[in-house]
Amino acid sequence: MSKLQLSLAIIKPHAVKNPVALAYIRNVIKNNFAVIKTQRVSLDKETAGNFYLEHVQKFFFNRLVTFMSSGCIDVHIIAHTNAIQLWRQMLGPTKVYRAQFEDPYSLRGMFGISDTRNVAHGSDSPISAEKEIKFFFPEFSFYNWHTNEEERFRKGPIVFNKHLFQHVRKL
Amino acid sequence: MNSLKIILRRRNSCVLQCRTATTKKKIHDPKEEEDLPIFQFPVSKSSDRRVYVWGLAETGALGVHVSHGRGRTKKSNSNFQFAWHPLRSSFCEKFDVTKIACGYGFTVAAVKTNEQHKVFGTGINTDSQIGYHAPRMGHPLETLLSPAPIYIPYRSLETKITGLAAGRAHTLILTDNEGVYTLGNNAYGQCGRKINPKEEYRGSMVSHNIKTLGRESIIDVCAGQDHSLFITESGKVYACGWGADGQTGLGKFDSQGPPAPVTGDITSEKIVKVASTADCVLALNDRGELFGWGNSEYGQIPMARNQQQVNSAYALVNFTKGLGKIEDIATGGSYCLVCNDSGDVFVWGFGLLGLGPNVNHTPKPKQIPPPLFGRNEFNPECMVKNVACGIGHLAAITDNGNLYLWGRNRHGCLGLGHNKDQHFPLKVSIGAHVLEVNCSVDHTVALCKPFV
Repeated sequence: MSKLQLSLAIIKPHAVKNPVALAYIRNVIKNNFAVIKTQRVSLDKETAGNFYLEHVQKFFFNRLVTFMSSGCIDVHIIAHTNAIQLWRQMLGPTKVYRAQFEDPYSLRGMFGISDTRNVAHGSDSPISAEKEIKFFFPEFSFYNWHTNEEERFRKGPIVFNKHLFQHVRKL
Repeated sequence: MNSLKIILRRRNSCVLQCRTATTKKKIHDPKEEEDLPIFQFPVSKSSDRRVYVWGLAETGALGVHVSHGRGRTKKSNSNFQFAWHPLRSSFCEKFDVTKIACGYGFTVAAVKTNEQHKVFGTGINTDSQIGYHAPRMGHPLETLLSPAPIYIPYRSLETKITGLAAGRAHTLILTDNEGVYTLGNNAYGQCGRKINPKEEYRGSMVSHNIKTLGRESIIDVCAGQDHSLFITESGKVYACGWGADGQTGLGKFDSQGPPAPVTGDITSEKIVKVASTADCVLALNDRGELFGWGNSEYGQIPMARNQQQVNSAYALVNFTKGLGKIEDIATGGSYCLVCNDSGDVFVWGFGLLGLGPNVNHTPKPKQIPPPLFGRNEFNPECMVKNVACGIGHLAAITDNGNLYLWGRNRHGCLGLGHNKDQHFPLKVSIGAHVLEVNCSVDHTVALCKPFV
């Protein structure tokens, strides 16, 4: 069995505010991935701008930043042998107005409202996943994860702790 | 022979004895007929309204209880509760509903009454967009499954609700002489007050009152997903809220707290109607000319240099040349829909436009064939009077009260009994004369009057 891959999933403010969508998305995450860490944060404009630094030249940068700083967001570190691709596939195409025809049962097709209010974010490559996880979880040690914890999550019995919204090792 | 006759006679008499009815002709008394009671079948008053709801019931936005079992067939791949067909809302049978507005997962309804509770809400309440409802202190409800009254501090109980609008997480309540009351999320300033980044909206009891704008009273309100638009008595448009796509039309891309007048080509016009569902805005003046601003990523507001975000009003007079006098307007997520005074419907933009499965983009206004709205040789005067749009679905109401829906059938919001997309207008089976339709992201509400 190949090693687990890490990815960062962010549930955007409008989906966090919709209990029906949030319950559905959380169900998808916990049934398909091992959830390593979960955090609910509220970004300010500056932090959101730093997070989306790669888009700073795009016309939608202001829109994205003001949207991401408009409410609470849920940040999850998720693990799966193919986490990055699988999560992006579940999300569907980035543009919601196209996603609703191309892949209507993807998360974006079901709960997206507009191209910016597109339900969730997923890392697009292992490098950006590492960068984005570091951004939200500065204390998260990749070395420790890969050497000690990865094998436990891959092999060992794990249970889901719904209060933490994390998978933990079964004692 | 004689004996036979006797037998027959006896038989006859026997038959006659057995009959209960008489063969004698009854003489009718004309007075008696007049005295007979005439049964009065119930006939509805002209003010009676019926409300039909359909779409995603899981959020509680429909205010009706749908059993889980019905939606668990192959129709959907989730376990949500759906109303697959229009259902008559029982709440609206108990109250005289005058106005209805649909937001993202919630519905508000205004009731004709002289009591304190004039507006009722149901559905998602995570931002207190339908008021503060807590069964015990400090534990506010995040969803309401049945309509509950919204407390608003009116100055007089005689106040009437003349308009309602609902966005993604805010509600605008327009009254006849107390201005506009706003409730809910103000992260972008869509409630028309100063933005406080640290404000907590869950379980908030704040309602804001905008009495007048520019010393004029407000006559109409309209809510986009995260912005609000107001029309004053002289036809001026004010806007507040999210401006990242230019949807406030204030000449900038920042969020706006207190409402400010929209700039651009409409400053000297008398605007009678504005329409906005997502981030694109259309405005109509008293001469039936069209103006637009906001998001134009899919060519909703065709600009000379193909700008994707238009931050001040732009006249679409040349663009809509040949469409006649425009009567009603609506915008969806990625398209616009208008109807003119001869009842023709035009659509442009991207998406399921109702022009068949092969057309998903049209940069110029294109007419949807009128026979699809019931205009044929037997019914040549059938006209479309009103149009409405959700994020992905479109609606048109004809003058004989038929409702046509088409577009993306997200969570069964087209009320067709399944969740397949609809590529051309199809009549919705509602047993009443449809007056007004409100489309939201995933549910639809129609305000109707009874046929008899």
